Amino acid sequence: MTRGGILVSSAVAVAVIVAGAYVVASSDANAQAKKKEAPLETKDDASTRPWKRYAGWPTRDYSKYNTLGNLATAPAPKTPRKLAGPITGDAANGAKLVADRARGGSCLACHAMGPAGGAALPGNVGPDLSEIGNAGREDEWLFNMVFDARVYNPETVMPPWGTHGFFNEQEINDMVAFLKTLKSPAPFKTVLDDPGKRPVPVEKRENLDPIENPGMWAVDKAQELWKQAGAAGKSCKSCHSNAKAAFKTWAASMPKWEPRLNKVLAVEEFVARHAKATTGANWLMETDENRAMSVYLHFLANGTPIKLDTASPAAKAALERGKVLSERKLGQLNMACTDCHGKAANHWIRGQWMGEPKGQYDHFPTWRTSLLAIWDIRQRFQWCQVNIRADELPPDAKEYGDLEFYLASQNEGLKLSVPGIRH
Amino acid sequence: MAEKPRLKLPKEAKKGEVIEIKTLMPHTMESGQRKDKDGKTIPRKIINKFTAEFNGKPVFSANLDPAIAANPYMQFYAKVDASGTFKFTWTDDDGTVITAEEKITVG
Amino acid sequence: MRQLSRRAALALSASGAALTIVGWNEGAFATAKEAADDIAKFTGGKTAEKAKISIELPEIAENGNTVPLSVAVDAPMTAENYVSEILVVADGNPRPGVATFHFSSMSGKAEASTRIRLATTQNIIVVAKTSKGEFFTGQKQVKVTIGGCGG
Repeated sequence: MTRGGILVSSAVAVAVIVAGAYVVASSDANAQAKKKEAPLETKDDASTRPWKRYAGWPTRDYSKYNTLGNLATAPAPKTPRKLAGPITGDAANGAKLVADRARGGSCLACHAMGPAGGAALPGNVGPDLSEIGNAGREDEWLFNMVFDARVYNPETVMPPWGTHGFFNEQEINDMVAFLKTLKSPAPFKTVLDDPGKRPVPVEKRENLDPIENPGMWAVDKAQELWKQAGAAGKSCKSCHSNAKAAFKTWAASMPKWEPRLNKVLAVEEFVARHAKATTGANWLMETDENRAMSVYLHFLANGTPIKLDTASPAAKAALERGKVLSERKLGQLNMACTDCHGKAANHWIRGQWMGEPKGQYDHFPTWRTSLLAIWDIRQRFQWCQVNIRADELPPDAKEYGDLEFYLASQNEGLKLSVPGIRH
Repeated sequence: MAEKPRLKLPKEAKKGEVIEIKTLMPHTMESGQRKDKDGKTIPRKIINKFTAEFNGKPVFSANLDPAIAANPYMQFYAKVDASGTFKFTWTDDDGTVITAEEKITVG
Repeated sequence: MRQLSRRAALALSASGAALTIVGWNEGAFATAKEAADDIAKFTGGKTAEKAKISIELPEIAENGNTVPLSVAVDAPMTAENYVSEILVVADGNPRPGVATFHFSSMSGKAEASTRIRLATTQNIIVVAKTSKGEFFTGQKQVKVTIGGCGG
């Protein structure tokens, strides 16, 4: 009886354990499901509002022109301007204007312009104009090519210098007068001066060596942040005790379409939203903490080839939107991503080599030697826009999500190597 | 300065071997030639001297000018004949001296 | 800019202003003469022989903020005969001085690398002094890239 009772009770105990095990398994499954659906703060913005341009950046307002979020640029003229007579201009003033970097970048950014134009590291996106004075071009054609070349080629990379107000008519007359004096080839003293022969830069710095790349210090900083409790009393470590194992490949699968936000979500915005929803830390995009965490999460996945989830119709639509945005003419300079990184790719813009989209993503966030700072890809997008004189969007703008998704898709297969080290 | 100097040198070497040493000191190296947005010159503040000693004897040193980049990096060599300790020092314009040490076993 | 430079050392600067070289504003640049004066002071007026110096610098630098420089002198580095000092000057910065490296017979090699600031395209001139009082010199030009997009 006693013995039987023991048996009975132990049988009951077994049953309880089984039931218990079953419950545990079920909560594991929930955890798995939850893992796929990492908690995200979905109401607030993931960067500061109103968005304020970074200190030290140009403060000009470009709201008259297209941005990635807004179409504002006035339509291009359809026909060339007629000139009253032959151009009379001050060639000496024209020589100054073509080299004036404060007026949108100087003609030398894209064109060699012979001895008078100053042959110091000209670019070669546009034709060499060193002998344009011998080409027998009419004044009206030269004037309109500078004033607004879209009247001859709607897709041109040449900015509409007159229509978009960089130079007035008299100044363009002066530049045309200067162009007509160009009659002898550019005297390139060394191969470095000649954009046709200048060696293409090769990136060989050891970007993962903390002695070589100060961006690596973010990895140390992030490991401290990982242990730091946020407002909710929890830290990253509370749930992710083994960061190395948990995030071995994750960053290489980002960005992705996120239905809860109805936009493409990349690592930096994920960090901001997930931290707020879990530890309570306020790591908005473009804060030092956010940058450090993004570097670290990418760093953990270093060596993993970029591979995106583009299967769903929503993801496909986002990719298509990103492609369209990459072709949109933006800003006062009227340039699209694909102008510089497509048509002008593998050419020199002044002394800077313009890369293709492939290879422009696998190393972000990256250490910028020119600025002594880590930039994520969104800040890089923002700077590209301000540089072509377009207003930037807040870093968490959905348009940047689409664009980043498209850029990342062009980088699929490349292995992450973060933080990079670049100019 | 929150950041510590970074060092890279072998832990072990053979007697008489010439080893490579790399050091990096987190520092802005403010050149004294820049102006702030109000037009005032930002005072110079650089690491002006770096020294490396091995067992108390000078191995290498450098006087640095504002033309040295931020986060001053030094790569140089040392011939080691016995086990001992490298001592590195960085001297700031404001008088601060930062030191770091690293041991090496020579067999 | 001021804020940028303060925070730069933390490696995680918040924004990064891109318009001027981080090291210094453009200003009055040293003439080649000032560099020559510094060299004369270093050599005590002796003529340095154009030999034995190798200088590693990029021919073209994408920016002047952090240009890798290596200098090496072909020398025995024994207690009797070693390179004691190497002077590095630049002829296109606001001031010519870059660095002076001091070696001993324990240095093993008369070789040092660092990273330098170059305000513009210019020559880097290196002069080495040996323990026997000989001087050797060499120089190399670096073209500092002009960015495309301007302000």
